[in-house]
Amino acid sequence: MIEMVRRFLRQRFGSPAMATALGVLALLTAIQAAVSPDAERALATGFLSIVLIAAGSVSRDASSGALQMILARPIRRTSYLFGRYVGILAAYGAFLVGTCGLTVMLATVLPRTFGMASGGIPAAALARGMAAALLNASLFASILLFFSTFLRGYADVLGYILLSIALQVVPGLARTLHKPWLATAGDELRHNVLPEVEWSEVLQGRHALAEPTGQFVLAVVIFLTLAALIFSRREFSYGRD
Amino acid sequence: MIVVSEVSKTYGRFGRRAQALAGISLEVRRGETVGLIGPNGAGKTTLLSCLLGFLRPDRGTVRVAGLPPDDLAIRAMTGYMPERLGFDRDLTGAAFLSHHWRLAGGDPRETAREVAAAAARVGLEGGVLLRRLAGYSRGMLQRIGVAQAMLRDPMLLFLDEPASGTDPLGVAVVRDRILEAKARGATIVLNSHQLPEVERVCDRVVFLSGGRVTQSQALRGPASARRASIRVPADRVAAASAALSREGVAAQTMPDGTLAFPIAGEEDLARAVKALALADVPVLDARSTADLEDMFRAGGGA
Repeated sequence: MIEMVRRFLRQRFGSPAMATALGVLALLTAIQAAVSPDAERALATGFLSIVLIAAGSVSRDASSGALQMILARPIRRTSYLFGRYVGILAAYGAFLVGTCGLTVMLATVLPRTFGMASGGIPAAALARGMAAALLNASLFASILLFFSTFLRGYADVLGYILLSIALQVVPGLARTLHKPWLATAGDELRHNVLPEVEWSEVLQGRHALAEPTGQFVLAVVIFLTLAALIFSRREFSYGRD
Repeated sequence: MIVVSEVSKTYGRFGRRAQALAGISLEVRRGETVGLIGPNGAGKTTLLSCLLGFLRPDRGTVRVAGLPPDDLAIRAMTGYMPERLGFDRDLTGAAFLSHHWRLAGGDPRETAREVAAAAARVGLEGGVLLRRLAGYSRGMLQRIGVAQAMLRDPMLLFLDEPASGTDPLGVAVVRDRILEAKARGATIVLNSHQLPEVERVCDRVVFLSGGRVTQSQALRGPASARRASIRVPADRVAAASAALSREGVAAQTMPDGTLAFPIAGEEDLARAVKALALADVPVLDARSTADLEDMFRAGGGA
């Protein structure tokens, strides 16, 4: 699995185009965090970077034929799959560390350059922002990985977007149609499939054992289990006859 | 070593079903080199995918050394080269081979030495390994693909068009590596359209057409389809024929004056040439051929 993680990091940071895109995103996030009164929240909302890192993690390997070459080696499919998952989180973790470093630097440089008031950014807030972003990414990555095991190319991102829209739309639509049971079911589904956790609170030791935290953990486990089940059964042809 | 029993595989669903394999049965003995031959769409790639465990047959079974093909014990002794190397193009050649060395279970401390040796065996040395795969030519990609398949000297090799797109030197390098693997007893399944190369390295060819095995033909041994043809000066054909006859070879005189006869291997040809030399008959040309192209045209006996 370590080899899989290593390869994922090499894939994401070894490509000049990807490295440049992530660098630009890190800079933009850092600027936002450095000038924002709530650096913690600014760090935790870097959605685009995790999309860039996690999109097509399995499907792109399958379509290029790289996956078949790896699976011809004595590697369990689950080792490959969870290696990709850990790789996504490791790559995103590295991105966040870089972003935090840039944020600290910019928080020192920008006020001097532009004559802004310098309040400094508490290290604890930065650490919480980073941890919250990584925790949110753990669910997002598990959903993308799940879709990536059976959809092609970058359709996993599309799958996530459609899932989010469906989970938002269904309860509202049910209420409009006066179907309270469907609205309740839709709400429950949304809270269980895409739970929202106030990580800032949880990371400060408050409401750690509240319902959303459990729903979050369960959702991650379910998406990863489904991904493993689908991936271990999936067939891969490496070409045409 | 490999036993394929009544394997069928169909792609697609409902009204758009296409049968790629239609009850194929096949056996590859330990240490045998078998070439898969057939027109496009014959089912070769599907069969290889089943042998590698990437695809599951709808019906029938595939067993490699008595185990399912995706068993990790089988994987540990398998080398595989796809027709086109679609691996991470941002990797350098050295990083690519190192990655596969570690995936194959190689000792990490030996990585640099083994990678350099594997690359050198396919003629990729020095600075080439430090270049990214994106900058490799088709021939170089094929060579590095062969190098990765041969890492850790696998006893089971699946090669798909290994010499495709390579220059004549590359073809020779690939052939030498296959013969090397064969010499150490590896079982090899080769999918190739390069019939002369198949003829040179394979012990047997299996013709596929329409998802079925239409013919299995030995290229070495007593049941070989190999034929020798020897050209001698026109005024010495009768003497040559008599000399061969004394050696127990019933040669047929062809319209162009060459003498043709079946052989089990190259050594039979060498014996015939020696007999002619002892009979003082000059040999202008001597070659052996399995006429695979003719068989291919004929649809492998379909």
